[in-house]
Amino acid sequence: MLEFLGLALLAAVLSGNLCGAIGFYVQRLKITTLSFSVAHAALAGASIGLILNLDPVYSAMIVAVASALILGVIFTRVEYGRELISMAVFSTSSAIAVFAIYLSNVRVLATASIAVVLWGSLLAITVEKLILLLLTLFIFVLYILAYKIQIDSMLYDVKMAEAEGINVQMHMLIMLFFAGLIISSSLRLTGGFLVFTLLYNPVAASFQISRRAHMQLLVSSILGASSASSGLIVSYILDWPVGATIALVSSIILLSAYIAKIIVEAARRRCLSCPMLG
Amino acid sequence: MRFSEEVVKLKDVWVAYSGSDRPAMRNINLTVSLGKLLLITGPNGAGKTTLIETCLGLLKPYRGSAYLFGVDTRSWRVRYSRKMCGFVPQDFMKPPFETYTVRHVIRLGFAPYKSIFESLTEDENRRIQRISELLEIEDLLDRPIGTLSGGQQQRAVIARALARRPKALFLDEPFSSLDREGRKLISSVIREYVDSEGASVIIVSHDVNPIIDYADIVVKMENGRIISGEGYA
Ligand SMILES: Nc1ncnc2c1ncn2[C@@H]1O[C@H](COP(=O)(O)OP(=O)(O)O)[C@@H](O)[C@H]1O
Ligand SMILES: [Mg+2]
Repeated sequence: MLEFLGLALLAAVLSGNLCGAIGFYVQRLKITTLSFSVAHAALAGASIGLILNLDPVYSAMIVAVASALILGVIFTRVEYGRELISMAVFSTSSAIAVFAIYLSNVRVLATASIAVVLWGSLLAITVEKLILLLLTLFIFVLYILAYKIQIDSMLYDVKMAEAEGINVQMHMLIMLFFAGLIISSSLRLTGGFLVFTLLYNPVAASFQISRRAHMQLLVSSILGASSASSGLIVSYILDWPVGATIALVSSIILLSAYIAKIIVEAARRRCLSCPMLG
Repeated sequence: MRFSEEVVKLKDVWVAYSGSDRPAMRNINLTVSLGKLLLITGPNGAGKTTLIETCLGLLKPYRGSAYLFGVDTRSWRVRYSRKMCGFVPQDFMKPPFETYTVRHVIRLGFAPYKSIFESLTEDENRRIQRISELLEIEDLLDRPIGTLSGGQQQRAVIARALARRPKALFLDEPFSSLDREGRKLISSVIREYVDSEGASVIIVSHDVNPIIDYADIVVKMENGRIISGEGYA
């Protein structure tokens, strides 16, 4: 019993950490809408996997990565109507997901695996999935280190980076690719509908806490890992659905960060206007 | 890869911003060859920024063609042409919380030349030192760029562009935050750079003093059109 909990906890820390980190890059490079579409494509892929009786993580990975690459390539070719294309992919994926889930419910009657794909599950974490997460983390860190100066240049000023000949499109494509990979490998834990809360809440909270890029990356990764792991523990203790609990915890963290920021700023303003300090 | 001696070539170029029904630039013809200092001037909203960003391929024409060192800016290969360019954007200012130091910002200019896991060479670090002495910002190198004044930040970004040793330098309103002394210094540094390196510099500025005394060609724009100085430069 404790063994599977330990496994799930490790997976939660890794997933949360990866989601927080990729969420930061996606936000700073302004490809959030794209990653949203990729997340839904992952859900569609997982649901297709249910019908075809494949491991939903792998079918999610294939569809998510493929859609990330296709979206990325389309975006380098098209200048107008990008939002539209993104929304089209998002709605089509959602439709496919719902349709596939309906079909698999009728045909395969695998309610348990549908529940995993939709809502996530503690029991769904295996050693194999953990290795997959570790591998993803390893190549992601390798990529970030290998292209450190180029990525730094894009974080500082994307327009200047592009004008100077950085392959901005390629790096955005790679980031989307990682988003697809990370979303699909985290899908089992959080479920397909809530995986984006781990992608967006930690980075949004980190933006409230710090305005320095490297600090934001660190805070976002840490908040991602801690929301996922504490959400998992709470869900285990209270017997709540794990995905929803993680989403709830990360939302509470975001809200607290926001309120803390308001209080700190109000205090600072009062200090500035107080005659002894001012 | 072979590149053309023509730095910029615009042929009947029309450019519009998405969501806008009026073209920001219409029927532009312009050729700039190596070793020239070109000044583009005109009132606010004339289309100067649009022109400079079209030259670099950051904006693409919907009619006509733009070439950078002979490469169509619609082609993916324009990235290789861009490696020979420096760019100072109009909106270079960073907010106070931007913690990259001036030295770091200038170093980032070398990023396109670096392969994976590669860092700057001794030569490149020395060049950063020399350029910052030239632009009188050597004392600011280790300060976070966000804490500097507009004029100091502008010098830092110009230093980044020059440190890359570009064959073509694109400057969008590079004097906007500089005082008289600063304008004179930058103008003479740029003229010197054109003459010693045989590079081209394309400067956009609505305020022509004192750079107009240093320019080889002056192009005037208004309402998205070139009204004088069109053609070969
Ligand atoms: N992002 C934008 N979206 C829509 N219209 C724009 C945008 N940027 C500039 N324009 C329009 O394009 C025209 C030229 O602008 P610009 O090239 O910035 O002029 P300048 O640099 O000479 O002041 C103006 O009419 C301006 O309103
Ligand atoms: Mg302008």
